Amino acid sequence: MTEIVMRNLGKDFGGFTALADMDLTIGSGEFVALLGPSGCGKSTTMNMIAGMLDPTHGEIRFDGRMMNGVPMAKRGVGFVFQNYAIFTHMTVRDNLAYGLRARGVAKPEIARRVGDIADLLQLTPLLDRKAARLSVNILQRLAIGRSAVVEPAIFLLDEPLSNVDAAFRAVMRSELKALQRQFRQTMVYVTHDQLEAMTMADRIAVMDHGKLLQVGTPLEVYNHPVDTFVARFIGAPGMNLLAGRVTSADTGLTVDLGAAGHCPIQAGQGGEVLFGFRPEEVHPDPKGPMEMTVTTVERIGARTILHLAAGSHAAKVVLDSETAVPDQGEAFRFSVSPGAVRLFDPQTERAL
Amino acid sequence: MTDMTTQQLGAAERHADTALHEGAEERRLGLWLTLPAQLLVIFIALFPILMQVYISLTDWSPLDGIPWYRAYELWIGLLNYVDLANDPRFWSALWRTCIVMAICVPVQFLLGLGLAILFVDDFPGRRVLYSTILVPMMVVPAVAGYMFFMLFQSGGPVNDILSFFAGRPVTIAWLSDPDLALFATIVSDIWQWTPLMFLILLAGMVSVPQDQQMAAILLGASWWRRFWTIVLPRMKTIIIIALAIRLIENFKVFDNFYIMTGGGPGVATETISIYIYKVTQQELIWGYVAAIALAILIVLSIVSALAIKKLRSVQ
Amino acid sequence: MQRSLSFEIFRYAAIFTFLALSLVPTIWMISMAFKPIAEWQASGADLTWWPANPTLDNFRFIFGESGSDLIVALERTAGRPILASLLAASFGTLIAMTAGTAAAYGLSRFGAGGNLPLALIQLRIFPPMAVMIPVMIMWAFLGLIDSWYGLALIYGIVTMPFSFWLMKTFFDDMPREIEDAALVEGCSRWRVFLRITLPIMRPALASSALFVFILNWSDYLIALLLTTRDWVTIPVYMASLSSSMTGQLYGAKAALGLIAAVPPVIMGIAIQKQLVRGLTFGALKE
Repeated sequence: MTEIVMRNLGKDFGGFTALADMDLTIGSGEFVALLGPSGCGKSTTMNMIAGMLDPTHGEIRFDGRMMNGVPMAKRGVGFVFQNYAIFTHMTVRDNLAYGLRARGVAKPEIARRVGDIADLLQLTPLLDRKAARLSVNILQRLAIGRSAVVEPAIFLLDEPLSNVDAAFRAVMRSELKALQRQFRQTMVYVTHDQLEAMTMADRIAVMDHGKLLQVGTPLEVYNHPVDTFVARFIGAPGMNLLAGRVTSADTGLTVDLGAAGHCPIQAGQGGEVLFGFRPEEVHPDPKGPMEMTVTTVERIGARTILHLAAGSHAAKVVLDSETAVPDQGEAFRFSVSPGAVRLFDPQTERAL
Repeated sequence: MTDMTTQQLGAAERHADTALHEGAEERRLGLWLTLPAQLLVIFIALFPILMQVYISLTDWSPLDGIPWYRAYELWIGLLNYVDLANDPRFWSALWRTCIVMAICVPVQFLLGLGLAILFVDDFPGRRVLYSTILVPMMVVPAVAGYMFFMLFQSGGPVNDILSFFAGRPVTIAWLSDPDLALFATIVSDIWQWTPLMFLILLAGMVSVPQDQQMAAILLGASWWRRFWTIVLPRMKTIIIIALAIRLIENFKVFDNFYIMTGGGPGVATETISIYIYKVTQQELIWGYVAAIALAILIVLSIVSALAIKKLRSVQ
Repeated sequence: MQRSLSFEIFRYAAIFTFLALSLVPTIWMISMAFKPIAEWQASGADLTWWPANPTLDNFRFIFGESGSDLIVALERTAGRPILASLLAASFGTLIAMTAGTAAAYGLSRFGAGGNLPLALIQLRIFPPMAVMIPVMIMWAFLGLIDSWYGLALIYGIVTMPFSFWLMKTFFDDMPREIEDAALVEGCSRWRVFLRITLPIMRPALASSALFVFILNWSDYLIALLLTTRDWVTIPVYMASLSSSMTGQLYGAKAALGLIAAVPPVIMGIAIQKQLVRGLTFGALKE
């Protein structure tokens, strides 16, 4: 169990800044997801933690120990690769024993520790099988077991689910989360899938264009995005953002949304804003202050997604499928409770 | 990047997916397309082998003044094969060829592997140096033979270099001393074909997945351990292919040896191809040559069939 | 991955040592080719590693131009053997490529000729020396001895395994969809092959042809057996550049050797990427 501290960490490739001035502390035993679209710098960050890349500036410390310049073999980092990088020409047992043998651990000790980890991961019946042609969840367990057996200080996971069938991902996610609870190891998990990050991580670090935008628990990031990028990126579908104008009336503050109507809010200053609300926070309300036209109705089992438009505004709304839903082309009237509204500055795109 | 497809040896089986395209027109077209190649194979394999079997049972020589198809007038049955079994020059040529293979191929392999290790990751100048290393294998082998003929003259540059290091004139007669002549010819073969080993082994080494090596490093494996446990096992098929190619070609060796020494002095550098050539061109006993050739063909067919079968089962 | 400085030093040292040794023969031949007679006849202590008075006399000499210091006059100049090598290697390549490409396509697309892959590999395994007696008899019977076309025919057959296997791997790699689209449009199979597939395959055809040409151009043994006088190729002719009277004509041989060596080296570097594929019968693609 190790605390990772990154301070002012940055990486340039030629003229291209892959990561700019990252400050992040990952607590001991914490499971942190680095989340962002491809090219956001999350893999660069992970590779620098592992020692595969040298930072251009800044520092990385494990439990206060400076890691810059320490070769990757000496960092005590367990790494689970995107395609698991299992040694397919060896047996499962040889895979698990690889790190111990490389460290010159005595034979009986190797047998004992490999046996233990195989029991823990339910790999015992497979120990003498060739590691080629194992199913993907067994490969994942084997990859984790192979790293875990040498008791690394931290675990890095590089999009381990991105090559997995969508149907199987939920199983793999829960298995991975269970494993993390068993090992209680500090884990850093890189992903571009916000759902993976939301369901597994203790905290999420959202990144874009080489910058760390926000760090927080899944709910913090979901409920209080610091800017419009995070607001849109988290959630499926992401937060709706409509251009509007804050006005004060006798009844209190409202946002005037032009063609879409208006919406009361709790606080805010006058002027142009981006009016944000989660698709899940919408209440169908025949007397509601907002009205938009339904352009598409997407029924996906338990939920129904309405695509709405009004003037230049577009929004999505998620309703459970019990609710009576208007047809395409009809008007949809609704309200958003003032507590659920988030306002952003239209120039800086930061939360107000 | 690299795709192992030795299974292609059994390519015909893998074409099940063409079923969609298999109509009468397609079958006919397929036959027409493969016809020229089939005819050429028959032309170069079937006729010659039948002819070879026939002539090998006679004492025919082009000097006898009778055409080859009347060679039965000189019928001697299996006598040529009996002679072959008791021909010390044949056996010594075969043995010598095996010695040449036993030296050349491992040396080429080790040098090629060592170079491949140096070239496996990028460094400034890699492309140019890579191309330069390949030059010898593209030189016409006969010309290569001639180059080494010049180098190993007693007043030539090899002795000049040795003189420089020895501090006194060195005049070793490389090509007229039996042992040194074999050494010199072997050097020329190693010079020419080490680049080929390098080329194939490097391609194989580059194809070893990078993340597996990274994983091994992160698990604390030293360079040697990674090389033995990850890189070499993953290159197994490629190594077998590279060795097989060189063994086959080395068995046929003729050009550089013949030009450097003519098989001499005496028979000191006489490989199997040179021996057959000499019997063909100088002694002109073609019935006997046919017997030698056929014996070699049969042995090689068996060996290659076994090797290909083995290679398939390894896959 | 970072490597230590000492490794980098070792790497360059090792590579340059190897190259220094491996380039000596080539450099020596180049040097000899441009030396005047006095220099290439020198030996022992008088050796010059680089021509002190570079000259093109050796090249003039092998093409029959007098005026050089060589007393001897050549009975035959190098022009004809160069032509012989060019004709035999080019037409041999044409034969190998035509038959090999057609067969490769037939197998790759229609599964025809399933015996060919193995038959051609075995053809390659056999030493040419082991089938030359019947070939010499057949060639004599057909009147093909000492002719460029007789040589081209045997070259074509001997190198067909390479053209076949190379083109087969290229055809196997080519996506079928392109052809299928044309078939749906109503083109006949022949048309698709000639108008769609072959043009797409042009780069593959070119590199395969260059590869096969190098092999043909490099032959010595077959030409030694099947040509006698009019159509001897460069390597065979080279041996005649010496006699009991003149001894070895080193300079002339080096000049001719250089002429013979340059085309395959240039072609080989041009098709560097396909060399591995060609040499391993397509088992290894880069």
